[in-house]
Amino acid sequence: MSSRTPLPKLSEISRRWIVVDADGKVLGRLATTVARHLTGKTKPIYTPFLDTGDFVVVVNAEKVALTGAKETDKKYRRHTGFPGGLKETTAGKLRTSRPEKLVEEAVKGMLPKTKLGRRMFKKLKVYAGPNHPHAAQGPTPAAIS
Amino acid sequence: MPRVKRGTKRKDRRKRILLLAKGYYGTKHNCFRIAELQVERSLAYATRDRKQKKRQFRGLWITRINAAARAHDLSYSKLMAGLKKAGSDVNRKMLAEIAVEDPKGFATLVSSAKSALGLAATARA
Repeated sequence: MSSRTPLPKLSEISRRWIVVDADGKVLGRLATTVARHLTGKTKPIYTPFLDTGDFVVVVNAEKVALTGAKETDKKYRRHTGFPGGLKETTAGKLRTSRPEKLVEEAVKGMLPKTKLGRRMFKKLKVYAGPNHPHAAQGPTPAAIS
Repeated sequence: MPRVKRGTKRKDRRKRILLLAKGYYGTKHNCFRIAELQVERSLAYATRDRKQKKRQFRGLWITRINAAARAHDLSYSKLMAGLKKAGSDVNRKMLAEIAVEDPKGFATLVSSAKSALGLAATARA
């Protein structure tokens, strides 16, 4: 056995596919678990400069729960770059127009803000309804606390 | 005053610095006056980072042990407390290595930690 901290090669990293049902789950709590799987911190071979994470499929994103008054009070802001171009929507409106965005934004905020973080984010697949097109990858359901 | 030249010393010094600057970006590897500044800075970074390396690796081991422990429904802190109670003197570096290379061995360690914690809990109750 080597006496050094083992560092995996890219080819040695095995990635699973995980399905998470967002129905009734609190958004932030859901996102921490999803982010942990995407970064690979659920595996003992976790390596900071490599993407050791799994793929995560989130279904029922439209049924994710928000606590308190966030449905009307939580604002999602973005700027177009033009003067006066600050756009604003509430969580409730986003839920009707693009429910996937709710989960995606929450998880993205919990991933590293680096090139590696953006690559990890690409392993996240969010769907509004209960169906997803990733049956071929044989995803396994994951428990969310 | 007669003019004094430095002989080979000047050339030797420049050569030494430029040798250390090999592989640096742009003029930093071939222009002495710029390379000298960068070499000084790089050596300072190296000194600092030899110390930081120890902390960073400890952090990585802890992250890995935590991941492996949570697969057995035990948090990192509980595992370490249990191992201490069980009188195990496996250090973090070894634990992280065992977690990767020998999952079965890690499971035995976890169960010993769990039983040590379980015994302690009943003794206190």
